[in-house]
Amino acid sequence: MHHLVIDRWSRGSSSLHQRDPRAKLAALLVFLVVLSTTRPSAQRAFVAYAVLLVLAANMARLPILGLAGRAALVLPFSATFALLTWWSGDSLRALALAEKSFLSGTAALLLVGTTPLTAWTAALESWRVPRMLILVIQFVYRYLFVIAEQVQRMRWAAQCRGPQQRGFRLAAGLVGVLFSRSWQRADGIYHAMLARGFRGRFVPAPPAPFRSSDALFFSTCLAGCLAIRMLL
Amino acid sequence: MHIPDGFLSTPVWATLDVVSAPAVAWVARRAQRDTQDNRIPLLGVMGAFVFAAQMVNFPVGPGTSGHLVGGALLTVVLGPAAASLVLTAILVLQALIFQDGGVLALGANVFNMALAGVAAAYLSNRLWGQASRSGAIFAAGALSVITSACLALGQLMISGVPMAGGVLWASLGLFLISAIMEGAITVAAVRAIERLNPTWVAGPQPATSRTVAAVAMAALVLVVVGTLVASAAPDGIQRLTAQGVDSVGWRARTMAGLAGIAMIFALCYLGGKLKSRRRSA
Repeated sequence: MHHLVIDRWSRGSSSLHQRDPRAKLAALLVFLVVLSTTRPSAQRAFVAYAVLLVLAANMARLPILGLAGRAALVLPFSATFALLTWWSGDSLRALALAEKSFLSGTAALLLVGTTPLTAWTAALESWRVPRMLILVIQFVYRYLFVIAEQVQRMRWAAQCRGPQQRGFRLAAGLVGVLFSRSWQRADGIYHAMLARGFRGRFVPAPPAPFRSSDALFFSTCLAGCLAIRMLL
Repeated sequence: MHIPDGFLSTPVWATLDVVSAPAVAWVARRAQRDTQDNRIPLLGVMGAFVFAAQMVNFPVGPGTSGHLVGGALLTVVLGPAAASLVLTAILVLQALIFQDGGVLALGANVFNMALAGVAAAYLSNRLWGQASRSGAIFAAGALSVITSACLALGQLMISGVPMAGGVLWASLGLFLISAIMEGAITVAAVRAIERLNPTWVAGPQPATSRTVAAVAMAALVLVVVGTLVASAAPDGIQRLTAQGVDSVGWRARTMAGLAGIAMIFALCYLGGKLKSRRRSA
């Protein structure tokens, strides 16, 4: 499944992988804000942003085509609205809509492609995002693929037993059974956690120190983005 | 309907980020207060369940099928605060990992789906749960979808994404159809869950404060309709698109808007404090 790709990417060891997740998250936000406030007429700036992302992907040793392909998932939505804008006679704006959403998606992928989930959630937690939300994000991600595979198996089983059956009630029954299995799974997880000494909260690992190379990385990104925004 | 980055204008996404961040903090505190320890894995697994349940196709008529969206189902099963929190977590993962919705637009998407959508579902279940349980759950599903969709549409239009009259009505029609589908699917799913184990789905709470719920519902309807009307007024769009980001009036108006929100927030906060003090006294 495609999720494994991002997990595999994020375990690399390039210099971009080694940067502090806080620096990478802050750089992503700067890039997105600068991109979002760029005027549609500044088409050269969009090219420069793309070059910046290609450089970063190169530095992270991630496949550029793979990144672009995954980021293209936003295109069906943005292409629809871009077409609407085009018809209303604003072709420059239409182009900018598609470019902005595609470049933003690529930038977000660069973050999660170079940072494991535990690392970027820890960065969010150090920025005072509520711990409860962080825990839920981690649990959802952990069990997402487990339960998605379960539903896939259940759908195959239903097909094997009655390929011509595709009723509304059948689908509802499937959801009901999936719900009950998920509920029982959650119970089992909780008991397993208790058995391993869970006392109501996780003890986070001490955060890695914010090194000067991280600060350098962030200031380079900041300077690059601002330079493109101001000059082009 | 997940809004990607690049669609919302700066004042729109910035305002919604500023509004949603404290709201999520509040929801998280609430969820932490009224859940026991064993609910932490439950919330996470329920989020994964909603992701997976969206893969089940519900056949609707010949050749077409819909799928569960899940906000209303989570609200009915877990309660509003936990449902908001789980949906927020799903939206964060979708924005970062699945390229479904933008990172800067996260505030907007959280506001539309995890806050307003859940509020609509909760209020319908609370208001009409006594009269007709299935009707209330149907309304919860339908209203949560239509609230989120209309808000997203309004925000896009305020941001100057052009929406010709025909397109607007067509998308409103599509929203109505998907809202009815979500209502029907939610009712069917809740029934199926109750058949397996009735204790999993909490019944509607006794309507102690129906007036408050009714007022809240009215406020929600007002916000949704107001957003659509404000964005559909053509001069508003033209003025926003005509003025660049650098114009002076824009900044003043944003500040006025933020100040207004802060004032409303302060009023609501004071009202809540007074009410809770009176109750504890």
